[in-house]
Amino acid sequence: MGTGFPQADFRNTPHTAVVPFYLYAAVSLLAGSVLLFLSASLFTGHYFNPGSLAITHIMALGWGTMIILGASHQLVPVLTEKSLYSLRLAHLTFWLAACGIPLLVYGFYKMDMGWPAKWGGRLLLLAILVYVINLFRSLQHGKKMNVHAVYILTAALWLFITAFLGLTLVYNFTIPFLPQDILAYLPLHAHAGIIGWFLLLIIGVGSRLIPMFLISKYQQPRLLYVIYFLINGGLLFYQLSFLWLPAAPLLIPACLIGTGLFLFVFYCIQVFRQRIRKQVDEPMKISLLSVSMIVLPLLTVLVLSGRLLSGEHQLKTVQLYGFVIFFGWITALILGMTFKTLPFIIWNKVYHEKAGVEKTPNPNDLYNKKLFAVMALIYLAGFVLFSAGILLGMISLLQTGAVLLTGMAFLYCLNVYRVWKHKPV
Amino acid sequence: MMNVISNHTMNATIALAALEQVIDPEIGLNVVDLGLIYQLDFDETEKIIYVTMTLTTQFCPMGDTLTAAVRRVLEKTFGERQVRVELCFDPPWTHERISEEGKRFLNQ
Repeated sequence: MGTGFPQADFRNTPHTAVVPFYLYAAVSLLAGSVLLFLSASLFTGHYFNPGSLAITHIMALGWGTMIILGASHQLVPVLTEKSLYSLRLAHLTFWLAACGIPLLVYGFYKMDMGWPAKWGGRLLLLAILVYVINLFRSLQHGKKMNVHAVYILTAALWLFITAFLGLTLVYNFTIPFLPQDILAYLPLHAHAGIIGWFLLLIIGVGSRLIPMFLISKYQQPRLLYVIYFLINGGLLFYQLSFLWLPAAPLLIPACLIGTGLFLFVFYCIQVFRQRIRKQVDEPMKISLLSVSMIVLPLLTVLVLSGRLLSGEHQLKTVQLYGFVIFFGWITALILGMTFKTLPFIIWNKVYHEKAGVEKTPNPNDLYNKKLFAVMALIYLAGFVLFSAGILLGMISLLQTGAVLLTGMAFLYCLNVYRVWKHKPV
Repeated sequence: MMNVISNHTMNATIALAALEQVIDPEIGLNVVDLGLIYQLDFDETEKIIYVTMTLTTQFCPMGDTLTAAVRRVLEKTFGERQVRVELCFDPPWTHERISEEGKRFLNQ
């Protein structure tokens, strides 16, 4: 006897392919914040210095990329409607990246571009290659790709390009072969990562998860494709004009990408307005706040691309640009999304056998909400103070901001530990 | 019994009442009011209950837990019968499947 409905092939990703990435990211956030405090005075000078390079890479790779890689192992099946191809490859990605990142960060901190930075870069590139293969094989079999899968795959390819460019720059320190100064290539590497990897992935994932969590009636895949082409078009224009049209105005790619971002904010507003679920929890609020925080780097990049500033002000704006991306937009999003996803992963592990039979706590009860609220407040205060410190060139503000951000990172780690070690009640 | 197909109305009513204990932990609403149950069939000769259900999103990470909970609740309610739960995403779940009670809950 059967039913008239077609049966679905269903297989979730186990927590072992996800949780280690979250734990690694939490430790990286703490290390990055401590490093920010130790190097606070460097934020009054040029952005190209060992401290800034180390902080940028620990935040971009150890914090942002690691947690996104882990979460994407869990979310790829949700977004693409296909199971993850290989658990072994997911574990291999973790170990390669986990060994590569500290070596690379150490290399930058000590400005040692010998074996630590080179091996760090190689291991990282390999980790990303393994991730791309796993993702590609997961998407290969089955139905036609949806818009979210297109975003994720493109983002992963940009991540690979970013890492490849980065390793090329590391090699150029010891064996100079590039025609121009290394500083000329940094924006290519940085924007491939920030826009190609982080932005595309966040839009691809956010455009699926935000409506899912809010149970929204709003669906607009065409708009998402328009955003996809605007952002990729802008980024490609930027990268290719560097090689063939160096005099091309930066405002063209900035406007293309800016329009894409504006449309994504519009998409999120529509999703929010047409939601069925009226209650919005704290992690969701902070995630939505991060969507509006996209405006900050956009404003700074518009100022920079207009070439309106000179000398010291230009350098400060570049510092601010990097800070609002890694400690602002990306951090706010992850702070919110961690406590939207990790408690469910752990709840599933702990209460899988008990659901429906015994009374179980709500996954939202696995993290401490007061600790979360204090963390969010400290984070916002630290973020504002440090940003003001960069603009005003005041070391005392930078240090106070960094202390608050370190406090935020400590509370975040404490709450993550609490969720991770949750025992059945 | 809104939106649920069954070959045995009385048993289906009992089953749905029992399944109200199974809560989607993200939304906080039970699987019946969410409209996740598509079909309940009772094979009286083989003593098997066939459940066809869906999830609010394909490959929802809670999928395994929810299907296992549905199976356990029905095994407990109907004693000696076997329960077979199948997932189905065609047709996909939409918000229109949420019951009036469920909509009131989400509107709070």
